[in-house]
Amino acid sequence: MGKRLRERIERNIEQGKKMLSLFLTAGYPKPEMTNDIIRACDKAGVDFIELGIPFSDPIADGPVIQKASDIALKNGINLNAIFETVKKVREESDIPIILMGYVNPVFQMGFERFFETCANTGVDGLILPDFPIEESSTYFPLLKKLDIDLIHLIAPNTKPERIEKIDRASTAFVYCTAYTGVTGKDNRPLPETERFLREIGQNLNHPVFIGFGIKTAADFQYYTRYAAGVIVGSAFIKYLSETDGKEIDSAVRSFISNIR
Amino acid sequence: MKHSLAQKKPRIKQLPDNDGYFGRFGGKFVPEILRPALDELEEAYDKLLKDPDFVAELDRELKDYAGRPTPLYFARNLTDHYGKARIYLKREDLAHTGAHKINNTIGQILLAKRMGKSRIIAETGAGQHGVATATVAAKAGLECCIYMGEEDIERQAPNVMRMKMLGAEVRTVYSGTKTLKDATNEAMRDWLTNVRNTHYIIGSVVGPHPFPMMVRNFQSVIGKEALEQIRQKEDRLPDYLIACVGGGSNAIGLFYPFLSFETVKMIGVEAAGMGMDTGRHAASLTAGSPGIFHGMLTYLLQDEDGQVQLPYSISAGLDYPGVGAEHSYLKETDRAQYVAVTDEQALEAAFLLSRLEGIIPALESAHALAYLETIMPKTDRDRIVIVNLSGRGDKDMQTYLSFLER
Repeated sequence: MGKRLRERIERNIEQGKKMLSLFLTAGYPKPEMTNDIIRACDKAGVDFIELGIPFSDPIADGPVIQKASDIALKNGINLNAIFETVKKVREESDIPIILMGYVNPVFQMGFERFFETCANTGVDGLILPDFPIEESSTYFPLLKKLDIDLIHLIAPNTKPERIEKIDRASTAFVYCTAYTGVTGKDNRPLPETERFLREIGQNLNHPVFIGFGIKTAADFQYYTRYAAGVIVGSAFIKYLSETDGKEIDSAVRSFISNIR
Repeated sequence: MKHSLAQKKPRIKQLPDNDGYFGRFGGKFVPEILRPALDELEEAYDKLLKDPDFVAELDRELKDYAGRPTPLYFARNLTDHYGKARIYLKREDLAHTGAHKINNTIGQILLAKRMGKSRIIAETGAGQHGVATATVAAKAGLECCIYMGEEDIERQAPNVMRMKMLGAEVRTVYSGTKTLKDATNEAMRDWLTNVRNTHYIIGSVVGPHPFPMMVRNFQSVIGKEALEQIRQKEDRLPDYLIACVGGGSNAIGLFYPFLSFETVKMIGVEAAGMGMDTGRHAASLTAGSPGIFHGMLTYLLQDEDGQVQLPYSISAGLDYPGVGAEHSYLKETDRAQYVAVTDEQALEAAFLLSRLEGIIPALESAHALAYLETIMPKTDRDRIVIVNLSGRGDKDMQTYLSFLER
């Protein structure tokens, strides 16, 4: 339910707390670890989770998430397995969960059935980057009825009038990419990007979260000057690949303490 | 029976619609980062179509640089071989760079220049689109980068050398299938990154709107010429159009100007690879199902979870799991028929044409020729078949020689 996500965001904004969200690919590095990682994130104070649906052709992703996606697919992860994981998490945790992925697996399951299953299993929101507002708007009434937030993206090259349109179509928050490109790049913001971030931080009706290439405490500091929070993906995936065998709770805690 | 041209007024359906849909297929399923580039492209293309200078320049380039019109050749020996309908070959193999791909790249490079882009990228399978892109980029003085799968680099080596000689950088793609699918993924990732100064010349009628429409329009010069030429030679319409279909640009280029002539049957020939029952094929329309891939809703080879399956064909240009959205529409409305032939059938057809007509076809085009074995016995002598000979076979000599030595 989107309410859980929206209330969490509103509460933090009221309290002046900048938020941190983590992305992980479902079933990576091992299928049985996803539940533990999400619960560890919850305990460590992560504000919400983006759970990646693996896809064979992740065109918006850099090498780190591409590889995680490949491994998850080899691990047999599909939407049913992801819904089972969410159900399991929901037995003990209330952390908002957003499913993030490419649209074709959703299309194959059937949009209505997918959205309803999301609502029934305790998914709060969705990010489907290759499902822009023109293609997805027919489902807005259903999503509203089911209380699922479909999060839309903007980028530093999005035109002002389109940003306005996307802001109007949004619920919960707007996802802004830190640059034009694929996920997980080393990135130093350009002066024009800084101007852009300042403007959207001030002018949008919805809170802004910034993602793509965010890795360090300095990045967190920098981007949360303009945004309500940041989303860390590739850096977390990379960290997870290096934590093999370590105790998950403390590993996740230590990752987060290095960022926020 | 003759089909009078005068009786049939073209009623070409105005597709795609404003959102880029052909019926339920097509669309713009892309990340937001690409949106401005698609909008810019659509706007530039609309504007240029109304600009007489652009239209004149495009015509001039097609004529003087690409060598158009390409001949419509009556293949007497091939016709005698089957002893049935008269077979004509649309000789796209004689266009500059050796395939129909140049028709599209000439159009898109003019667009890229008008949009002020300084860099060109493209994906390529067989290397024909890569060569055609490197060619126009060289002439336009623009930086050019071609993505090509590792496996294709091996099987189409001559085209890799041509691209390099033309000054393009050829980037090897090691991910996934190491063929056209993943070359397209990498080209899209590059475009996401460099979208401000880079134009992506997609090589087929695939991808998000406006590409399927734009590439079709640039390629429809094939069908326009063929219509005019068959009228002059036979004073009537053809009965069958046959073309190979990977992404489907040469096929749609031939079909499109004939769409309103209901008596003209259209057959797209896909790659059945090692055989449809082996699962090792690239026949998206024959064996796939609708899915969303590379920015469009179209027929796709995929598993039940919506993961894209690995296609296979001996022909690098047909080795693609999706297909142009308009072909999906033509299939679903029964306006065109889609069939598939195997590697083996295509190889045999390539040798038949070489020995009978002295023309070595590209492996892709050989798929279209191979379907003659099936269709010709069912035709009558007063019928006319046009096969699109979309490219020449120099690039495939290695494959042909190993078939010969077997």
